[in-house]
Amino acid sequence: MASQPITGPVSDSGSGVFPSLVYVQGNDQRSIALDHTPFTVGRKVDKDLVIADPRVSRDHALILSDNGEFYVVDQSSKHGTFVNGEKVQRQKLQRNDRLEFGVREVAYVIFHPVQAGSNTARDFLSQISGIHISTETTDLEKLTLFLEAARKLNTMGVLDEILVTLTDATLKLTRAERGYIFLKDEEGKLRLAAGRNYKGEPLLDDKTISHSILDEALSANSEFLITDTSQSLDLAGRQSIVAYDLRTVICIPLLKPQVQTTRDAEVPLPSPATGEVMGALYVDSRFASRDISQVSNDILRAIAREAASLIENARLVQAEEAARRYQQELSIAASMQQGLMAVTIPEVPFATLRGRNLSCKEIGGDFFDAVNTEDGLAVVLADVSGKGVSAALLASTLQGMIYSQLTARTPLPEIVAAVNRFFTKKHLGEKYATVIIARVRRDGELEYVNCGHIPPLLVCNHEVIRPSHGNLPVGLLADATYESDRCSLHPGDRLVLVTDGVTEAENAKGDFYDNERLEAVAAKGSSLEDIFASVSAFCGGTPLGDDCTVVELVYTG
Amino acid sequence: MTLKIEARTADGVTIVSCSGRIVFGEEATALRDTLKKLLGSTKRVLLNLSGVTYIDSGGLGTLVGVYSSARSAGADIKLTGLGQRLRDVLQITKLATVFEVYDNEQQAIAAFNRGGA
Repeated sequence: MASQPITGPVSDSGSGVFPSLVYVQGNDQRSIALDHTPFTVGRKVDKDLVIADPRVSRDHALILSDNGEFYVVDQSSKHGTFVNGEKVQRQKLQRNDRLEFGVREVAYVIFHPVQAGSNTARDFLSQISGIHISTETTDLEKLTLFLEAARKLNTMGVLDEILVTLTDATLKLTRAERGYIFLKDEEGKLRLAAGRNYKGEPLLDDKTISHSILDEALSANSEFLITDTSQSLDLAGRQSIVAYDLRTVICIPLLKPQVQTTRDAEVPLPSPATGEVMGALYVDSRFASRDISQVSNDILRAIAREAASLIENARLVQAEEAARRYQQELSIAASMQQGLMAVTIPEVPFATLRGRNLSCKEIGGDFFDAVNTEDGLAVVLADVSGKGVSAALLASTLQGMIYSQLTARTPLPEIVAAVNRFFTKKHLGEKYATVIIARVRRDGELEYVNCGHIPPLLVCNHEVIRPSHGNLPVGLLADATYESDRCSLHPGDRLVLVTDGVTEAENAKGDFYDNERLEAVAAKGSSLEDIFASVSAFCGGTPLGDDCTVVELVYTG
Repeated sequence: MTLKIEARTADGVTIVSCSGRIVFGEEATALRDTLKKLLGSTKRVLLNLSGVTYIDSGGLGTLVGVYSSARSAGADIKLTGLGQRLRDVLQITKLATVFEVYDNEQQAIAAFNRGGA
């Protein structure tokens, strides 16, 4: 008995705001907007729906609206009116109801079918803007329609489109010439968020509106402010009113909705004394133009209430969406960084190498790498400035460049000079990296090049040396030159490399972990785990502000 | 926004005083925009960083970026009022060899006037 889903093209006359009727006769179907009531059905040619069949009475049935609901009413037809196969006299209609008038099966009407896949925000908007309102509809009915539409849009999370729709709706209701919505920014200043004229053209400039009235409306804490300049003698200081011939200005402060437990019509207005002003809706008209001072107060009040909650909800949805995207970006960056940190450490007979990374919440651009060549075991530790996907991307590029040049046995200073040329030539904004590459040979000779990185810790016999040799970071200055330094390691000597996330780890007081603590724990001959334990004991519960990476190279001889 | 930027002029040198944190994000952007705008009308900028409590890698990148573009446009940015931490950072990154750093504003202004930049 239940209706079948409607397939195939449905004409544009079906609006998303007015219920649609889909009339099916044999293999043909067409969609009819139920944009007025009573909607008449019968065999007579003046009916809204004419069904030319002898079993259909001349005046067969009506579709009426009452309090937002639709009813089909049989007009004493000979062969009856049926809803979902049941003969009815007067029946409230539900979506997808199947209506039959006299003829069964051959011709029928589906009331307001749900059309899957067509209910996107944009479809909806185009339908709203194309709305035709019959003149008999009262202002409040119109308002209900618009707000109903806007509420549905609400869930789509498109704040800008909502603002435009709201402005258009307000213009139609008030018959004003121009409409603007202002929203407060983080600093509490009103900023133009949307502007439209009655022709539906965007207004990008708020210079010609009366800012003094706008300010007054906000400071007066009233529900709305109507200024009819033809009634007002006190125009001093209202330059725009004089200069631009503004006749009537309506300004509605938008108050942040109070937490409500119900959503029925009896909900009181947000009290002006407590509701925080989040913006304002402003409409005006010029002299010799449309008179908008007679707009019903009920409508303005309703707009004030609904607009504010709409915008607030839209903002919440938008914030959720932003948070979701941020999470998505975080997980991309995190997976990239896992790739960067998944280093296979080569095994060599003369040295052991270990590295460990502790990521903070925001993914940084730390990476380390290890390459064994005939020149010795090389270890790379780098920290790309910035955070997130861009830093992680740059880090992987850097890692690839350095890896390939190490395997090609390029001298260390040339490697970083090449990387620097690449970075500065590509104009990667202000992105740069601090890099340290250290390479230990079988005989214990250590060569390293430090590009702006924290000096390494050379631990010999519980004594910590911090060689001050260094160069500029890579990627900052195109003409930077790079030199390496050398020293000899003895069996048991250790080289500890850290990123500044370690030395700049903060405790609750805002103190840094710093070099002294790092050197003290390194001098004890402790392992990576001891360094991390020491950092974490220092920080207490304070979360890391930056990635911490520690690499330890022990020369065993 | 945790960075306050103020500009004034003394002896033909535009002195830009910063206080707060120069960090990646709107702070670094604000500093870059301010300096770029100033460099449209002056060739001598002295950056007084005595009120700066923290500068991160992004802030440092901005500083060097603005410095480089100033130099290539024939302008100069000198620094003064560096706290110990900032001195350390410039030392580690060897940027101390790039920037001219002075102990106080008078010395920096004198250097500008000697150099005739």
